[in-house]
Parts: sequence; structure tokens; C-alpha cells
Amino acid sequence: MSTMTAAPQLTLRSASGTQEDLRELFLSWQHDRDARARDALVRRFMPLARSLARRYGRSSEPFEDLLQVASLGLLKALDRYDADRGHSFASFAVPTILGEMRRYFRDSGWAIHVPRGAQERALKVRDAQERLANERGRAPTVNQLAEYLEFDTEDVVDALQAIQAYETLSLDAPRPGVDGDVISYGDSVGSDDERYELVELDVTLTSVLRHIPPRERLILRMRFVDDLTQTEIAERVGISQMQVSRLLRRSLEQLRTLTQAAS
Amino acid sequence: MSDPVDRSRSMAEIPNLCLTLQNRPENVLVVRQALTGVADSLALNAIETNDLNTAVTEACNNVVLHAYGGEEGPLEVDIYALANAIAVVVRDDGEGMEPLPDEDGAADSEITSGLGLPVMHALASNVEIKGRAGGGTEVRMEFEAPNASVLELRDGKQRDSSIYQEGQPTGTVALMLAPNALVRSVLPRVLSALAARAYFSTDRISDVQIVADVLAAKSVDSISGSHLEVGVTVAPRNLALRLGPLHVGKGESLLSAAADGLAPVIERLTDERHRIASTDGSTETLELRLIERQH
Repeated sequence: MSTMTAAPQLTLRSASGTQEDLRELFLSWQHDRDARARDALVRRFMPLARSLARRYGRSSEPFEDLLQVASLGLLKALDRYDADRGHSFASFAVPTILGEMRRYFRDSGWAIHVPRGAQERALKVRDAQERLANERGRAPTVNQLAEYLEFDTEDVVDALQAIQAYETLSLDAPRPGVDGDVISYGDSVGSDDERYELVELDVTLTSVLRHIPPRERLILRMRFVDDLTQTEIAERVGISQMQVSRLLRRSLEQLRTLTQAAS
Repeated sequence: MSDPVDRSRSMAEIPNLCLTLQNRPENVLVVRQALTGVADSLALNAIETNDLNTAVTEACNNVVLHAYGGEEGPLEVDIYALANAIAVVVRDDGEGMEPLPDEDGAADSEITSGLGLPVMHALASNVEIKGRAGGGTEVRMEFEAPNASVLELRDGKQRDSSIYQEGQPTGTVALMLAPNALVRSVLPRVLSALAARAYFSTDRISDVQIVADVLAAKSVDSISGSHLEVGVTVAPRNLALRLGPLHVGKGESLLSAAADGLAPVIERLTDERHRIASTDGSTETLELRLIERQH
């Protein structure tokens, strides 16, 4: 049984060179600033930068952008590494490369905003969901969406969750119409008022439910009283199923808060 | 060799979240969804969330790939809220860690193996690794989280999920959660990840999220212990949930929980509902089943 608190030392290996070759390359770069030695080292350790970019970035940003940042980190690590001090290069380089990627995320506003990559993916998932549902007449599974968009299933799962939160998916966000025209959610909702009369006469409508906006109330009734699926509601109201999902979760939460306040 | 881990402190800590799963690659996604839920409830920013997710993923991947020598075994993840940090413990009963590379290795690709530990050390503020008495490895990582104290529990039970122990089928995912703020942010995420695995449509996954929302909201005065315990069994187009321990009679009120003027939400969205009294009759468990309805 052992307890470790210090980072373990990694040992270097490579197909084209032994430990000794590597040490020589490091020495000629450090002592003689031999550019060819540095190029050889960059080539040798590029898989390290690539692997870290994949692990840390996943698919949050375009991979090529992130790989470039990781490569910059690799160059910095090569500049700062002192082969005479006996640390292995890989264990020295990991924090340097990760630090470079963190800095990049910080500079691109990640600490304040939802990462752009994640937002774009959520919108793509929303649109693909609608397209596949229209084409096939039923809501797709996560695997079908992942396959269609060439995303990881995890990205799709994240998007399904994220869609609930993004203000970019508000009613005003433009979305493609079925025939390719760009329409806004506001337009499509307006026309429904004619098809579904939102009368206030319903006797089951209690004071709490009255606080919910008419469209949300309609959707709640369609789901929980008329037992329509979200896809069926989406078709009738003219919004996406994901939008139905978001409105249902929000208005149920509102109802809970209102009911709690009332009692 | 550093000082032994201070066990007295961690003995007193009450976990906010305990996950028990099989060491399958797809379960790492479930862990990551739970972590994102924790990060959300602590208002961590995207960078902090990414650090947390990346480091814990490395520890989990190690259990998936190396702990059981190609066999299946349990992967346990516990999360503790401390004063200004969260601690994440990743545990297995297996043989050990990712091997460190040998001196005479041959492939360039192996430069990238053995990176798990350095990545964890670079991203967590503290890392402790130790062997467990009787086999297995435990990795404990701490991450700064200024708001963590909002989740800190003064009392409650340690990891011991009765839900998991009651002869559930292999592959059941067991989850213990407290306090309610954490249930709200973690349960919908974990259940949607599992519903996705059960080949549910986006339509039905949203139903699962709504059920999770209702359970989270209503469990606050229904559970009889310190933690909500949930067991989830996944089969194709079929998700079985087991929740407890509930005060006797609370299962019924959870099921009939209705938004005013609407039909009971859980009744509408689930396909089967059962209440099961514990053997001594002091608590009850709720069993719910959701089936993908479209063909």
C-alpha cells in the first residue's frame, strides 16, 4: 500500500529513437539552439500535444484550433525544459500544454460565456432533431442524431440539456421553416391562436394556472390533459419538439413555485 | 513518500453524491453528466467545469481500462462538498493503475500513454492515490470551488446504497444524492444520459427529464433518510427507476403530484408505478418504469 502525492515521472519512448537519442536531441536544442533538433523533438512529441488537446478540449472548440494551442504549449515546454535536471520531458510538458489551453479558453471568454462550440452544437442538434422528425414522422433517438450529425452521443446528450438554458434559443431566434424559409418562433405561434382558441372559461383552470402565459398553458394541456406527445404538440403549435420540452419544464417549474407560494 | 492520508477528516465527511456503476466505457458519460450537474449547482464556470470533467474522466478511464484486467467490476465515484473545494473520490476493487511506461518501449503512440496521472495532477488542486485494504485503488482529487459550502452536509449517512444492494440486475446504476439542490441539477442529467442509452427518442428523453424534475422537487419532503437513493436499470426502450427511502405514504403523494388543473404528471409520463414497503414497514420505495412508446 502506498501513498503518492507527487506527479510520477514518465519515461520517454519512441519508435525512431532510444532514450539516448532523445537526450542528445534535447542537449543540442538546449545548448546549441540547433533548430533541426527542435524540429525533431516537436515531431516526436506532437502525439502528446494531440492527445492532450483531445482529452482537455473534447469537442468544445474546433479541434484544429485547439491542436494549434496545444502545439504552442509544446514549444514553450521545449524552450523551458532542462534535460540536465532529470525530469522526464512528458511529465514536465503536460502542465505547460494544459496551461496553454486553459489560457486560450480564458481569453476566449469561456469563464463568462457558454463556449461557442457548445452553443453551435446545441443549435445543430435542435435543427437536426426537427429535420429527422419531419422526414421520418417520429422523434429520433440520440444515437440517430449523433450518427446524422457525426457527433459523439455525449455531445448530443449535452445539447439536449443545454437547449433548456440557452437564451439564443429564445422565441426570436430564427429557424428554418419546413420549406426552407426562415421564420421566427413568434410568427408560427401567432397563427396557432386561430386554430386553438385559448379561452379562459375552463372550469379546471385554477388561479395558479392563470399565471402561466396562454401558449404555455395550451402546451401543458395538450401534454397532460389531452395526452399528446411532445412531437405531436410541436407539429400543432409550429415550434420544435425541443422548444416544447423547454416550455413544459419551465412552466411546470413555475407552477411548482406558484403553488408553493400560494400555500 | 509523503505523510499518510488523514483518514479522520474524511471519515467525518458526508458524501453529497455517490455513484456506483460497472466499469464500462459508456458509464464514463454518466459520471461526466453527474459532474456537470454538480458544477452547475456550484456555479462553476466552463473552464473549472472542464478541468473537473477532464481530471475525473482520466481517473474513470483508468478504472475502465486497467483496474480489472479486461473484466467487469464496480466503478465508484463519490463527491464531497468541503468549505471551499469539492473532493472527488474514484474507487475500484481491481488490480491497480495504468502501468507506467517501461524503459524499452517501442511505439511513438506510447508517448501518449501514462498521461492520466500527470493530467490529474495538473488540473486538480490536490491528488492522493492509495491502495485499499483488500485490493483496489482510490484516487482522491480536490478542486477549488468557492461556493462549495452551500452543499456541505453536517450529518447524514456514508456511502451505503440500500437501493443498490437489494439484488438489482447487473448494470444497475446506483446514485445517492443530497441536498435537494444537488438532486435538482444532477438527477435530470443522469437520467437523460441513461434514457439516451436505452434508445429513447428525444421526445421521451424530455419526458424523463420532466419526471426527474418532479421527483427532485417532491422528494425534498418525502425521503426518510439524509439522501435520495436512486437505482436505474437500463434495457432497450425501457428504463426502470427505484427511489427511496421514502416516508410511508409519501410514495402515493409523489405519484399523485399534480400541477394544479392538470392530470398527475408522473402518472401521465410513466408506464408502470409500484410502491414497495420495506421489510420492517418503516419506509417505502417507489418503482417507476418508462418505456419508449413510439415505433
